[in-house]
Amino acid sequence: MMKLQFDWRSRLSRFRVWALSFRGGITLLCLVGLLLVPLTGREYLARIVITAMILTIFAASWDLLAGFAGQVSFGHAAFFGISGYVTAAFVKFVGAPWFLAIFIGTGWAVVFSLLIGIPCLRLKGPYLALGTLAFALILYNLFLTGTWLGGTEGISALPNIGSVFVEFYIMAAFMVASLIIMRAIVDSRLGTILKAIRDDEVGADAAGINTTVYKLVAFMVSGLFAGISGALFVLDITAVNPAVYQPLYSFYAIIMASIGGIATIYGSIVGSFLFTLLSEFLRPLAAASLLIFATLLILIIRFSEEGVMNPFLEHVRDLWDKIRGR
Amino acid sequence: MEEILIFGTIQGALLALLALGFSLVYGVGGLLNLAHGAFFLITAYIVYWTIHLLTSIPGLSYYPLVFGIAAVVGLSSVVTIGAVTYLGLMKPLQKSHIGVVLVTFAMAFFFEQFVKFVGDPKTHYIVPVVPGTVTLLGITFPAQLLALVFGSVILVTLVTLFISKSTIGKSIRAVSQDPEAAELVGINTDMVMMTSVMISALLVGFAAVLYAPGNYIAPRIGWGYLLLAFSVTIFGGMGSIPGSILGAYVMGYATTLTDYLISPSFSQIVPLIVILVMLLVRPQGLLGKKRLQ
Amino acid sequence: MGLILEVKNLTKKFGGLTAVNDVNFEVHRGEILGLIGPNGAGKTTLFQLISGFEKPNSGSVRFNGVDITGKRPYQIVNLGLARTFQLVRSFRFLSLLDNISVACLSPRGREAFGEVGIDAAASSILASVGLVDKARLPPVILPHGDLRKLEIGKALGTNPEFLLLDEPFSGLAHEESAGITRLIEQLHEEGVTVFMTGHVLRELMTLVPRVIAMHQGRLIAEGPPKEVASNKIVLEAYLGRGEGFA
Repeated sequence: MMKLQFDWRSRLSRFRVWALSFRGGITLLCLVGLLLVPLTGREYLARIVITAMILTIFAASWDLLAGFAGQVSFGHAAFFGISGYVTAAFVKFVGAPWFLAIFIGTGWAVVFSLLIGIPCLRLKGPYLALGTLAFALILYNLFLTGTWLGGTEGISALPNIGSVFVEFYIMAAFMVASLIIMRAIVDSRLGTILKAIRDDEVGADAAGINTTVYKLVAFMVSGLFAGISGALFVLDITAVNPAVYQPLYSFYAIIMASIGGIATIYGSIVGSFLFTLLSEFLRPLAAASLLIFATLLILIIRFSEEGVMNPFLEHVRDLWDKIRGR
Repeated sequence: MEEILIFGTIQGALLALLALGFSLVYGVGGLLNLAHGAFFLITAYIVYWTIHLLTSIPGLSYYPLVFGIAAVVGLSSVVTIGAVTYLGLMKPLQKSHIGVVLVTFAMAFFFEQFVKFVGDPKTHYIVPVVPGTVTLLGITFPAQLLALVFGSVILVTLVTLFISKSTIGKSIRAVSQDPEAAELVGINTDMVMMTSVMISALLVGFAAVLYAPGNYIAPRIGWGYLLLAFSVTIFGGMGSIPGSILGAYVMGYATTLTDYLISPSFSQIVPLIVILVMLLVRPQGLLGKKRLQ
Repeated sequence: MGLILEVKNLTKKFGGLTAVNDVNFEVHRGEILGLIGPNGAGKTTLFQLISGFEKPNSGSVRFNGVDITGKRPYQIVNLGLARTFQLVRSFRFLSLLDNISVACLSPRGREAFGEVGIDAAASSILASVGLVDKARLPPVILPHGDLRKLEIGKALGTNPEFLLLDEPFSGLAHEESAGITRLIEQLHEEGVTVFMTGHVLRELMTLVPRVIAMHQGRLIAEGPPKEVASNKIVLEAYLGRGEGFA
């Protein structure tokens, strides 16, 4: 009992140190800002932010697999899509409550992460990329040509999980929890082992690590969070169709994680919000919007290999230090 | 049976043009060019736009001439785009392979949007330059496709000869085997990689010039061609030139066969399954080097 | 004492080349055994076979009486047989301490150091290889000599009974070599069995009481270093390739 209390107190003091540090302060400020969004009463804005929050989880799940375990997947939409479909089916045909459906959908995503992960274990680099892409495309085509679960039309008219503002806080809770858990995983000993496999798989083998098992664990954890995001995505738009499996969604995850910064987890927040907000704000420009967006994308990737989050934070920090006269 | 032979050969000829360059660029520089399909797209659209522009000039009504000019404009544009892409985007990001993958993906996305913005998102049709149909072994098919097969065979032979005989070709092979050693003996590896990206762009440009006429073009088609090139390359062995040629024809016959034997709606999936099985059984491809990486 | 490693009729072919040809030898518990031979003699391939990174075409390897032929490398490591590489490897983006921690996190490391003792064990291994003041640095900025030490440190993280050291002196200046020599002597005193290769016999002379010599995939001599060095077949093997050995 004493020990528990002590632990709690040290955690509290560590939290205080973190909150007063530059990064901690920025994070808390952003979190508060995020939670204030619904209070503006602007439904349109809340909807965009909801999408950004869901995609953040998706991008971070890709980052966990690619940035930390070194397994670059081009077929992440497979986990996203299967979970979305199962969630939709359980809500629509079984009448399951949404929170239960998320569990079931995510469970299927984990199963699929094993189904895809096990055969792809031997593959590396472009081979792994194409292998995972092929799996996602097979699912895409199966759902497109098949007649099950609504065929080409998919499943639509799912019930809303609440008003936009209720939904906003639910999604925010999912995002914050998912990110904290993922960051804790990559900072843990499991994370150290995954990073070792990423840096030198032969070396990890020689250090007595069963790389097969750990790569599968990485696939499962990544599939789990991709599954959560897929389920939330479908619940948010209250419909699902085979398009969720298309390669574009996999690439969205890759792009968002890289804009923010690979191997950071938190970079995905920056990437997804930038991605979603930018494409939304450019919308009035109609046809030109995506062209401008594509150009920005090329420039960001070309000139900021680390992604935009870390370099940006460092600049702000320099500025902050100057203001405070250090 | 004759159908499979003829349509399989046509499909194989197209795939060889698509895959050879893709494989070459990967083999030489380890560069995975996701804008490969977009090169096809942009060539097809430049050809379409040039034809459109030229036919509005009074007095220019001889279609083969119009098409010829358009083809030259399209091919030179795509080769230039290839060179610029390499110098401006691939070369600076060469150190990180994921960087090249991302930036070429963004390029592909850019071209798709560019075509939509400059033109329109609608589907267009390019009139075939070789008119009429041909009947061979009792099978009738558009004569344009015969041009595709001949063009493909000639180009693939030329490129193979170029790589095995010419000085630049020898440098290309040297760099693909050991870039550091090649650099040490005074080979300009950047130049070699740029050349291979340009050859690759030229080949995929020719695929567009020969195959797009008689077919519909739309902004999204680039992705399909990218996937075909990627699959054949994996199938034949990443970086292996004979492998990608052989792989192209094997895949060509295989997809045609599934078209006839099973329903055509499944022919989308069957090549994917073939690739997957191939990856799992023999990940280095038909003629790939024994070891990965 | 007894035998810790028994290699019987081990053969490995690469295409037409027989890299390891019907090799037989034994290693006694607690000894330091040297393996010499000119470049291309098959030393590294032999190590690859023992440590499980290559599968032999025929023959067997027994470690502590257990047949380990064809086992995966990490399984062999967890039985207590660790190795280093001739070309140094490292986890590029991890600190030196984490580089060692990875090995301590192997099942055998966890068993030896306990879940809570892993950080302490990694630090003490880092100290024993003389890198403790660089614990937080990434390996990319280290000089070659330090990478060699890290390589041994990673192997020690798995708490080995038996160490295969592939060319531990290659690319090192004389002083750095002396440091590695001291480290190997210290490990030997702690009871670790060491089997190491050296391209040049002189490096091994002082350290190793017994060597075996390889040439063109075969074992050609065995005995104390002085005897082997004066063996006619060994001399010819080296001279035939125009290489000095002394």
